[in-house]
Amino acid sequence: MSALQEPLERYRMLLDAAAPNLPGREIAWLATQRAAATQQLLQSGFPTRKTEAWRYTSLDRVLEPAWEVPRQYGAALDIGEYTLSDDAAARLVFVNGHWVAELSSTHALPEGVYMGSLRTALEVMPDTVATWLENSAAMRLSAFTALNTALLDDGVWLHISAGTKLTTPIELLHVCIAQDATPTAQLRNVIVLDDGAEAMLLEQYTGIGEAPSFTNSLTEIRLGRHARLEHARLQDEGPSARHLSYVCLHQQAHSRYRGLSMSLGGLWSRSEYHNRMCEQHTQFELDGLYIAGGHQLSDVHLAITHAVPHCTSRERFKGIVLGQGRAVFDGRIRVEQDAQKSAAELHNANLLLSRTAEIDTKPQLEIYADDVKCSHGTSIGQLEPAQLFYLRSRGIGLDAARRLLCQGFVMEILEGWHIPALHTRVAQRLDRLLAETPQADSDPH
Amino acid sequence: MLTVKNLTVSIEAKPVLQGLDLEVMAGEVHAIMGPNGSGKSSFAHVLAGRGGYEVTGGEVLFEGEDLLTLDVEERARRGLFLALQYPVELPGVSNLVFLRESLNAIRAARGEPILDAVQFMKLARDKATLMQLNPELLKRSVNAGFSGGEKKRNEILQMALLEPKLAILDETDSGLDIDAIRIVADGVNTLRSPQRAIILITHYQRLLDYIEPGRVHVLSGGRIVRSGDKALAVELERKGYGWIAEEVAA
Repeated sequence: MSALQEPLERYRMLLDAAAPNLPGREIAWLATQRAAATQQLLQSGFPTRKTEAWRYTSLDRVLEPAWEVPRQYGAALDIGEYTLSDDAAARLVFVNGHWVAELSSTHALPEGVYMGSLRTALEVMPDTVATWLENSAAMRLSAFTALNTALLDDGVWLHISAGTKLTTPIELLHVCIAQDATPTAQLRNVIVLDDGAEAMLLEQYTGIGEAPSFTNSLTEIRLGRHARLEHARLQDEGPSARHLSYVCLHQQAHSRYRGLSMSLGGLWSRSEYHNRMCEQHTQFELDGLYIAGGHQLSDVHLAITHAVPHCTSRERFKGIVLGQGRAVFDGRIRVEQDAQKSAAELHNANLLLSRTAEIDTKPQLEIYADDVKCSHGTSIGQLEPAQLFYLRSRGIGLDAARRLLCQGFVMEILEGWHIPALHTRVAQRLDRLLAETPQADSDPH
Repeated sequence: MLTVKNLTVSIEAKPVLQGLDLEVMAGEVHAIMGPNGSGKSSFAHVLAGRGGYEVTGGEVLFEGEDLLTLDVEERARRGLFLALQYPVELPGVSNLVFLRESLNAIRAARGEPILDAVQFMKLARDKATLMQLNPELLKRSVNAGFSGGEKKRNEILQMALLEPKLAILDETDSGLDIDAIRIVADGVNTLRSPQRAIILITHYQRLLDYIEPGRVHVLSGGRIVRSGDKALAVELERKGYGWIAEEVAA
């Protein structure tokens, strides 16, 4: 028996157990898609370290536990502490992968915005859902997008019609409760902005409880011509959480996506962004921040392709790794032969704060066109002794000095996002991890 | 206030200070002059506690306490301040946050109440005005993108906020034009008091036209080879450092 068969068998049992409770079982295209996804998963199995995209990240923590799709989800939950914006236009709340109506509020949304759960949308407008999901190729990205499709159940459903411009953010909150069971949430989020629509999304994944959990989310974003989306994602899950998220973009001409990917929590987490820019004058900007301490692993995977001329992409990620934390940054920008006048920038800077921490960074810029403006850079460093001395010479203790310098390091990313709650969450996480990390282990000076 | 006895210091086994003696009393202003490489900046850094220097002999007492066994931040909390020749840039760290953390750490050590954000803001603005420093610079990252003059004024602003007992100014005049020197000097002069001592480390005499020292010392080869009053600085300006080295050699 090969090593892969055992987890695959466990996942087959997971699929069988979940199947009777999945929504839309009578919808033909969905049944076909789930069957195809199941077949893809069972035939191809899970990737191994020999697969290039998984070279630095072991899947053991995801494959070993026996996950279950929880059927019950409570509504009695105080979500106040997770609020990221005081003036949100609407809030959708999911607990263990299921929409909780009682905690959500969408009544203040203006006309032209349709927001709710995918489960409801499958019931009331299956044809509209089919428009965007029936031919989706996202399930073929990996074993986990296939798994997500095979278990397609619930998630965010957001459709903003042409020309509708939201002036206040929409909050999406995913809470994973893992107190005794080992739940898995397979989220499928569909976000569609028609031509000229504008919105800001604040998406957050958080957790309650210390038992292992597995969030596997697949988000497809479709931006019409001249549409603009600002999309901040915060992964701040519980201490034993496994978190995998795929964001797949489909951008039409002149659309602009500006994202922030923050990974703070969880034991094992990986975020992937996939964008093949096939229409001219599209813009894709992504800021990112990851902090990994303790035994955390944080992995970022970017696959951005310029397929036509006049598109721009800019990715700027910063990370702090300490304790026995590990981070992986694998950013790949591909500029194809036809994509003249492309502008692409890819930057990754890291602070490695202990001898036992590890970073694998691999920024790749593949350029097949000759008239382009591209740059990339990467760095791994430590806190500057001269900076530490300067702060200490002003009476500031070593712990506070390290904290200030770490906060300064991430500020370059955060300052472009005026969301004070995010700044606070980062500061809290840094304080906790720095306090956990013995100085003797971290600072050669 | 400060007593330095026969201090010897090395960097990577290379001696930089070789038997330095100095006595500074409260209320005094001392200037330490000397050619490049004479050990002036090393002396300042050793007092502040910068890493990389090995004290191989002698002692330094600050208000009767052995200074050399204290951590960098403890020295600052006891009232020692070093204005750096090259103030360090701290990208992403707001000047206001830096100044407030610093002042509150030192106030806490002095047993004084912590200032809240409003009280601190008012104080910082007042001191910035005194230093003719654009208050906008308070909101920016520490020293990042500051001009040379702004960096030096930001150092003196810190000194004005922290109110140290002993301030050491390491080449604060270097890289400044005459107008900037006058602003910095005015700031320093307002901080002169019978309770406070100041050590000016400088290569040139011109700063001493604006901040008048009571004592002038010449550092050469890691030792103070001559001390005098302000007239010594004028003589050095006229004759250069060469004659002193020759005299010492002879």
